[in-house]
Amino acid sequence: MSKDRLPEVLEKWEAVIGLEIHTELTTLNTKMFCGCPVAFGGEPNTRVCPVCLGLPGALPVPNARAIESTILAGLALECDISSWSQFHRKNYFYPDMPKDYQISQYDRPFCVGGHVDVEMDGAESVRIGITRIHLEEDTGKMVHVGGSEGRIAGATHSLVDFNRAGTALMELVSEPDIRTPEQARRFASQLRLVFLTLGVSDCNMEEGSMRVDANVSVRPHGQAEFGAKAEVKNMNSFKALHDALSYEIVRQADELEAGGTVAQETRHWDAGKKRTSSLRSKEFAHDYRYFPEPDMVPFTFDDDFIEGLRASLPELPDARRARYARAYALPGNDASVLSSDLGLGAYFEEAVEAAGGPEMGKAVANWVLGDFSAHLNAEALLPADSSVTPRKLARLVQLVGDGTISGKQAKAVFAEMVATGEKPRQIIERLGMQQVSDSGAIEAVVDRVLAANPEEVEGYRAGKTGLIGFFVGAVMREMGGQGNPAMVNEVLKARLGG
Amino acid sequence: MSISEEQVRHVALLARLGLSDEQIASVGVELNDILVQIDRIQSLDLAGVEPTTHAAEVVNVTRPDVVRPCLLREEALRNAPEQQDGAFLIPKFGG
Repeated sequence: MSKDRLPEVLEKWEAVIGLEIHTELTTLNTKMFCGCPVAFGGEPNTRVCPVCLGLPGALPVPNARAIESTILAGLALECDISSWSQFHRKNYFYPDMPKDYQISQYDRPFCVGGHVDVEMDGAESVRIGITRIHLEEDTGKMVHVGGSEGRIAGATHSLVDFNRAGTALMELVSEPDIRTPEQARRFASQLRLVFLTLGVSDCNMEEGSMRVDANVSVRPHGQAEFGAKAEVKNMNSFKALHDALSYEIVRQADELEAGGTVAQETRHWDAGKKRTSSLRSKEFAHDYRYFPEPDMVPFTFDDDFIEGLRASLPELPDARRARYARAYALPGNDASVLSSDLGLGAYFEEAVEAAGGPEMGKAVANWVLGDFSAHLNAEALLPADSSVTPRKLARLVQLVGDGTISGKQAKAVFAEMVATGEKPRQIIERLGMQQVSDSGAIEAVVDRVLAANPEEVEGYRAGKTGLIGFFVGAVMREMGGQGNPAMVNEVLKARLGG
Repeated sequence: MSISEEQVRHVALLARLGLSDEQIASVGVELNDILVQIDRIQSLDLAGVEPTTHAAEVVNVTRPDVVRPCLLREEALRNAPEQQDGAFLIPKFGG
């Protein structure tokens, strides 16, 4: 099924998708229940202690900032914060989990309800409900040795590294409100932007600090009951999420159309083969025997605490987008792109400020989204790492604005700025690029050009106004490309009109 | 309320306890004794009594987000039956 059959399948079938999104709180200094530092990678088992190794007698104590971060996320997503909540033990055996239970939350999560309005280009936005957000601890990591490609199948033994074990993990569960892979992709990416804005995680999907699992089923349009669902795992980019859901929806519809059934199972997305496959895990009905964590007391949050956190919320992406559109008079798409990249947005705001204020917004946005973004992409740079600082770009925009150089010259200056790191002024002087805005000088050239081309002048006056381009080109050639184009146009029209 | 032998075996499996038939029988008796006590509690009129998960009326015990020393790796691995490349080596499982 190489061709994209999804649109055709979605005409007959309705997909029902819910996401479970695990986000490591990577910006904390320490793990969820102990003082071991939080970091990615490193030498195995160098960030462990009796608590995160699950040694007998160790006492886990919750990280206050992890709980605040989770409540902050809940407030940003319009959740209700539980006035009374607690941790539970989720009991199961797996070698990457040293205690043989995971400290998690069960019927009293910190945040319940909430929603995200997912923006769909042009179309109406789609509201996706959030069931809950709770806090738990991450597991360790295993390397399987002796099998092919590090797989567990065929492995002779495995190596366990508990550096990640005990890292605070925030799990968000959505309602099954998602109907298309594109909605799922946008929902997850909007959540990521919220978490980045809150500063609770680096949300790096490749490193696994944000992990998205999906519950997927299909049903005929108009049917109220849900179909049997499969849980799809191992999607480590938004594109993978989109592709895996597209594949899975088509697969389930084909299965049902062929008279088969959809097995309730966990399926693994293989990004290389572009397919999901059954994990064939042993048929163990999940029986986690949750019970209240006896090592920890419950939590109560009063209104003062919650309102204090609410007051500390930063400007959220939706508000930022609206502000960009309003304060800088940016078109919707410019405002969306700039507000969906925190680094680029900060660069833009700094450059606008340096260029003289909000009225320079559109001119600066054009540069930031155009040549500057192209330069970042070409060199794989973050905005803050470019040698073209917001101040330098602002200066360039000003020099175009006040007529010192033309827009075309500015592009050449920008290329030089990237290449040499020089300031725009220095480059303009070095290359002798000054734009001629002296009206006397321009008029003299215009008069020469008109005198040399009497036929074209006659043609223009007879109605062939398209010839204006010919005159502009001729004048600019005479002036070595340094005439102020707006003034050249103006003078030409004045002379030709008479 | 009472627990069947089958349920005892299921709970033992979930807890990864390898019990002999004899032990299954005696654990069953013990568990049923405990369930008798729970039945007695459930027969009480507890309307109006808040559910309790802890005896102490303490809430919101947390620690500040401050790094504390970790174990040296040799210490962490000291009880491991086998180790390799600084990791706990475990036998083949699942798959």
